[in-house]
Amino acid sequence: MNKKRAVILNTVIIFSFFIVIFRLVDLMIFNHKILANSARKQYIKVEDIQARRGIIVDRRGRELALNLELDSVYCDPQNFTRENEKLGTLASLMGQKPEAILAKIPEQGRFVWLGRKMEPEKAEKIKSLKINGLGFLTEAKRYYPKSNLASHIIGFVGVDNQSLEGIELKYDKYLKANGGKVIVERDAGGRILSSGVITEIKGNNIVLTIDEVLQQIIEKELDKAMSKWKAAAGSVIMMDPFTGEILALANLPDYDLNKGSSANASERRNRAITDCYEPGSTFKIVIGIGALEEKILKPNSLFDVSRGGIEVGGKTIRDVHKYGVLTFKEVIQKSSNVGSIMVGMKLGKERLYKYAKLLGIGEKTGIDLPGEVSGWIRPPEKWSATSIGAIPIGQEVAVTPLQILRAYSAVANGGYLVTPHVVKEIISPDGRTIASFNDRDKIRIISSRTAETFREILKSVTEEGGTGTLASIDGNDVAGKTGTAQMINPATKRYSKEKYVSSFVGFVPADNPRIAMIVVIYEPRGQIYGGAVAAPVFRDIANQALSYLKVPIEEKQNKPDIVVMR
Amino acid sequence: MFNIDRRLLKNFDIIIFATVLIISLIGVMTIYSATRPIGDEAHSVFYIKQATWLALGIFVMLLSVTFDYIWLGRLSSILYIFGVILLVIVFIAGRIGLGAQRWLSIGPLSFQPSEFFKLFYIIFLTFKFSEIRGQLNAVLLLKLFFTTTFFPFILLIEQPDLGTALIIIALFLLIAIAKGIQRKIAILLIIISLISMPFLGNIFWGGLKEYQKSRLIAFLYPESTHSTIGYQINQSKITVGSGESFGKGYIHGTQGPFRFLPEKHTDFIFAIFAEEWGFAGSFLLLFLYFVFLMRGMETALKAREDFGKLLALGITLMFLIYFTINVGMTLGLMPVVGIPLPFMSYGGTALLSNLIAVGILINIKSRRFELFH
Repeated sequence: MNKKRAVILNTVIIFSFFIVIFRLVDLMIFNHKILANSARKQYIKVEDIQARRGIIVDRRGRELALNLELDSVYCDPQNFTRENEKLGTLASLMGQKPEAILAKIPEQGRFVWLGRKMEPEKAEKIKSLKINGLGFLTEAKRYYPKSNLASHIIGFVGVDNQSLEGIELKYDKYLKANGGKVIVERDAGGRILSSGVITEIKGNNIVLTIDEVLQQIIEKELDKAMSKWKAAAGSVIMMDPFTGEILALANLPDYDLNKGSSANASERRNRAITDCYEPGSTFKIVIGIGALEEKILKPNSLFDVSRGGIEVGGKTIRDVHKYGVLTFKEVIQKSSNVGSIMVGMKLGKERLYKYAKLLGIGEKTGIDLPGEVSGWIRPPEKWSATSIGAIPIGQEVAVTPLQILRAYSAVANGGYLVTPHVVKEIISPDGRTIASFNDRDKIRIISSRTAETFREILKSVTEEGGTGTLASIDGNDVAGKTGTAQMINPATKRYSKEKYVSSFVGFVPADNPRIAMIVVIYEPRGQIYGGAVAAPVFRDIANQALSYLKVPIEEKQNKPDIVVMR
Repeated sequence: MFNIDRRLLKNFDIIIFATVLIISLIGVMTIYSATRPIGDEAHSVFYIKQATWLALGIFVMLLSVTFDYIWLGRLSSILYIFGVILLVIVFIAGRIGLGAQRWLSIGPLSFQPSEFFKLFYIIFLTFKFSEIRGQLNAVLLLKLFFTTTFFPFILLIEQPDLGTALIIIALFLLIAIAKGIQRKIAILLIIISLISMPFLGNIFWGGLKEYQKSRLIAFLYPESTHSTIGYQINQSKITVGSGESFGKGYIHGTQGPFRFLPEKHTDFIFAIFAEEWGFAGSFLLLFLYFVFLMRGMETALKAREDFGKLLALGITLMFLIYFTINVGMTLGLMPVVGIPLPFMSYGGTALLSNLIAVGILINIKSRRFELFH
């Protein structure tokens, strides 16, 4: 070998090293981002999950919605062999056909759920099969320990924790755990090397204004009334008249929140805020308040209703009973339609409409639950000739139970229109109060004097000679009003002869109200009058609620002879 | 035969020894990292085995410095025949139902005869070339080809060990050129190989095993297949690229232990090293190889007589070919041929035979001033 050849060979060696180094620069410096990314993509799988949704508790911290840690199984199709001898076992464990499982697994992609939030023992059995390409993740499953309780308030979430109803929906952005990511490190065989939640952001917890005990009471009593009257549906709302805090809210039929997806529309409907009905006599608050506030009448102003009927626009509206001459107070107490229409006429349609609006009729209350409707009341210029004979007694208007309750709460609290709400506070995972709703809007709509006067009138409703005597309780005065309305038959568009809505709305103790409540029973059978159907429900609930709330017993002003033993 | 004196120690090429030792130790480290247990895996013993072979190899390497390398020339025919017999045994063992195999087991030991064969082959080849005085003509060349290369080439192709087969052909041509053939023969050889390439390629293609075909396809269209060799090339590039400038750090590499990169501790060990030590580390490693190869070239140039020159050149060229093909394959510059990276890839027989070869290099370098016996 001579020098020349050695030089050539050396050049070859140097040249090949240069090529290698250029290639290294190319791969490791110019293209490193792309290559490093594909490396990361291979062994790190990032899966978005709804990590830990916030919990929902009642006003005293009792848990109404919480999370269970359950295993979910997923498949990495790239590492899963379709001809798997364990497939049959897997299928039988999952309660599915093998073909059904295979159908779920695509050829492409690296992640597909096979079973979500499985029972622990089932998950253990699947894990022990040690099938290549299957992985497990712990997920939080929403669990509602009280099943049906307050179902229309709480609402529920689907399998991916997507909110579907109630507070879960309305406050989803607070409850949900944003940006929860699970990072899975796995090898080429799909074996999970490590997995963990790196960005666990827990959702915020929600404190409701609801009191679980009161909720149980109203649900139990509503249920009793429903069976007693074989009614189609019913709603009860209990509210703190001063703050607008909803203490309890129930509708029947209801549903088990843990099986929310299989509930039908009727069961899921929050009738208390989403259904309109013609209120009937409970609407007489509008003319009563209007007449008092406008100082047109005094409680002892007299009305001659002895004819038992009144003709309006060629139609005669009758009272249930014939009365002689009634005071204004007695018109409300006995719920005289004739008298009420007379009051309405005195007030005039403009002012009647104004007070209806002031009391919140035809407007959403602003409650923090999804699906609230506004109801409606026709503006004066669109009234027909008979409207002045219908609207004062609660026909030709559509209201929600909550609207009526809110109007009566204004009487209870001395003249304020409150904003009903079910959420008291939002608490962050570390215990900070993010939002507090203790001071919701509260607007003075009538003078305290008017409220005071009308309260006295409402008290007489539950006293001897009133329509709501069955709502009276031992020891405390009840102020309230009965309502009975015919339902409109959707087929004939006329008032039905069989279908009624019976209601009672009021507050107790009358002079120092702790709770305001409305009871609405749809289509009761046997009895139709609010005083007979709804008033007893009010009484039974109020009795238990006041004793639970430890409301002191006051001697009734007009029945000093009754001694109450408790 | 044994001749250790002060001059030998003085001329001992410490740089060749040191670079090879450092590269081999890096190899053991990298094998550990590539096969380290992840999760509940059992501890892998690869690195311990490799370290054991390394210790043995260093000993044998030093041993092969002790005698005058001329003896190798004298014994070359015996060594060559012994090597061919080993290949035949492997070939027969492969025929009788064990499938394609490169291994021979003797008791608990199993080794790759082709690794030893290539060493014996280089000794025999260079000795035969060194015996030729004067101009090398075509007839002589053909005769040498058939005496030294043809038979083992066929055996290796059939084994199949395509990598080693191609390497002995390449060595034959390179040694011939280095020895000094007529320019027109050299040009003729180049033209023949160029013309016969598509033709041979066709026969070659028909004779290829499925996995060999897929390797070639994968080299031409790396993104086309995901589960086969294209996947390997892609994974190798990903592994190297994700090392970036300064690497992920020792035992922080992911692609090997997570089993994305196949053959991580054997053929693709360089990728694992690059992932953990980055461009900077890879550059230093390449520099070590470069220094070693340049020292090998120097040895070839400075050897005291023709056999020493050709033998040193043959050994250096062998390492150069192995190195280039392996690194080229790792970096996606060449098709995947199952060729290990000298001194680093896991494999006891290869390490041992490579260290012996290094020992011979040092031997030739140390005796460059000695007179012919």
